[in-house]
Amino acid sequence: MLQTLLAHQWKADFRSSVFQKSIVLNIILGLLILYFGSIFLVLGFKLDDILVKFFPNQNPIAVFNGALLYYFCIDLFFRFMIQEMPVLAIQPYLHLPVPRSKLVHYVLLKSIPSFLNLLPLLVFVPFMVSAVVPAFGLGVALLWLTALFACTLLNNYLLLYFKRQLSSKPLYTLAFGAVILAVMVLNYYDLLPLQTVSRAAFGAILEQPWLVAVPVVLLAAAYGINFKFLSNNTYPEELKVRKVTQASGSDFAFLNRFGEIGRLVELELKLIWRHKRPKSLLTISVLFLFYGMLFYRNDTYMDGYGILIFVGIMITGSSVFNYGQFLPGWQSAHFDALLTQRISPYQFYRAKYWLFVPVMVLTYLLALPYGLFGYKIILINTAALLYNIGVNVFVVFFFSVYNTERLDLSKGSAFNWQGVGISKFVMMMPMMVLPILIYLPFGLTGMPLVGLATIAGLGLLGVIFQRQLLHWTANHFMKHKYKLATGFRQSS
Amino acid sequence: MLTIKDLQKVYNGTAVVQLPELLVNTGEAVGVVGNNGAGKTTLFRMLLDLVRPSKGQVHSKGTNVALSEDWKTYTGSYLDEGFLIDYLTVEEYFKFIADLNGLSQGDVLERLEPFHDLFNGEVLQQRKYIRDFSKGNQKKIGIAAALLSNPELLILDEPFANLDPSSQIRLKNLLKKLRQERQMTMLISSHDLNHVIEVCERIVILEKGQLVQDMQTTENTLQALEAYFTV
Repeated sequence: MLQTLLAHQWKADFRSSVFQKSIVLNIILGLLILYFGSIFLVLGFKLDDILVKFFPNQNPIAVFNGALLYYFCIDLFFRFMIQEMPVLAIQPYLHLPVPRSKLVHYVLLKSIPSFLNLLPLLVFVPFMVSAVVPAFGLGVALLWLTALFACTLLNNYLLLYFKRQLSSKPLYTLAFGAVILAVMVLNYYDLLPLQTVSRAAFGAILEQPWLVAVPVVLLAAAYGINFKFLSNNTYPEELKVRKVTQASGSDFAFLNRFGEIGRLVELELKLIWRHKRPKSLLTISVLFLFYGMLFYRNDTYMDGYGILIFVGIMITGSSVFNYGQFLPGWQSAHFDALLTQRISPYQFYRAKYWLFVPVMVLTYLLALPYGLFGYKIILINTAALLYNIGVNVFVVFFFSVYNTERLDLSKGSAFNWQGVGISKFVMMMPMMVLPILIYLPFGLTGMPLVGLATIAGLGLLGVIFQRQLLHWTANHFMKHKYKLATGFRQSS
Repeated sequence: MLTIKDLQKVYNGTAVVQLPELLVNTGEAVGVVGNNGAGKTTLFRMLLDLVRPSKGQVHSKGTNVALSEDWKTYTGSYLDEGFLIDYLTVEEYFKFIADLNGLSQGDVLERLEPFHDLFNGEVLQQRKYIRDFSKGNQKKIGIAAALLSNPELLILDEPFANLDPSSQIRLKNLLKKLRQERQMTMLISSHDLNHVIEVCERIVILEKGQLVQDMQTTENTLQALEAYFTV
């Protein structure tokens, strides 16, 4: 039975339309996996040499063991951010003569083959082969590896349990997070030296191999808790298959003053606020504000202009690039409704424009303190802001009509490849590279400020001819709207 | 066959289902009618242990459906598309259901024979996934899957909705035939009063979660129902 269920899972993944449609994306993804996989693999084999180099007087295995608890704590944090809950998919089986316990086992086992669980093995195994086996022999090394893998899976199940409690008993999850935080704080003040504990604990397994039973028993217990909880809660509504959320977010009354456009902007704000994917994208965009930190503290970048223009474009525009690259896919679920309503494409795009401009101005204002690193950053960011408002927004609009893939807004945006296509990569080129190319001749002839002024001027031209550009966008859209509507009707 | 005792489901302080008692005898076909929000689907979900009742129990053949899974072996059901495994092809899905019930390929073909007219050549051997079928054809697939195991109890939610007129009549005849040949116990909800009184000998009217009328079908039933629903 479990095999049948796993076979279904395989089919579900393989037949998901995202996977089937874009072969190019799969190749890129495959290459990325290969790239990072090999990096980890090489790291694993070279790790004991590296550790010897950095900690010359210590045993590399002991150093490695000492880092493990840190690693598992960080691992928990990462899992909290990105691990998906393997819940569903059991709904179609609930009314069939499949024992409930089988379904629960299936849900729990399904969570094991994830890259969060398997990636660390790429480091653990080579390190075991190159360092632990020569020192302790194969048998002990394998038990040691078992202990590490058991800890990884323990993290996996602990997190599944606590993340699931987040909706019903948030205090449980909060308490769990507080404990982890307390451990970190105690470690910081040297009251509970995590490194020593970790070194002792994992060292003990190498000395007394039977101690491997401890993590294994813990793992079994975590699995048991999950099993018990899920067995008692296999009701779809309790697993949040069909979650009915309380309507949130009040009306943005002040937008009514702007008439039709204001109402469309309000609609879009609600769309962003009430769906998981755009909301998580927004969070990522906030992180981009700190992008400047990577560059502004480095003098080699601060001397020139080229890189800083790129950074300025990214800081003032990233939220719009992130959100805009999927345009108008955000509305894919009700696209037909929009086309049949009394909304012209011109209004549709004008509303988008007036959603984007305030957002970019706001990010620009938030980034003003970067001026402390030098007034030229403010000059550059101003030019970049104008260029984004006048030119890049329309580039986003131009490419938007090629996004014919429907988006499922209820999924998170991290590692979500739905709707990501070749046009995204093509689109990024003119937006990032063009301003630098425009600047380059002036920069090379020693007139950097004239170069900046040119970029800003181009942006201003765009702002001045905004109406014409929007009309042109709307016409461009009209030519492609049937293709868009057809694409959006195909649910994935 | 089914015994409902003191059953209650409360969402946000309002009882969407509240049934002090309801008995369904073996071999009986019960039609459940009622306007939107009457609690028909929630009731069916509780019968199938898909929703945890706030209070009370559902007993199928004397055992509580929430505590034992025995009912699954003799109950066929189709409520909505959530019952389908939509990334499988129709044949794969039927095979999966057949495997669960220990049926051979031959059994499947034989049991699908009565569906030949209903399927109208649009369902089998189509080389496409269930998710890509129209709503009407998905419904036909779901109903066929529910009947594949030859169940003693059949629970269908709005079986006639989304079907074209010919399919509705074919489905109605199919259900009547199953009644005659196998004395199958049925629970069918519908907004189509004509069809439901033809198939069912007993009609139950729900309103706001409460049972308001329980009648045996006679030639006057349709008039009575129409009178009831004319507001």
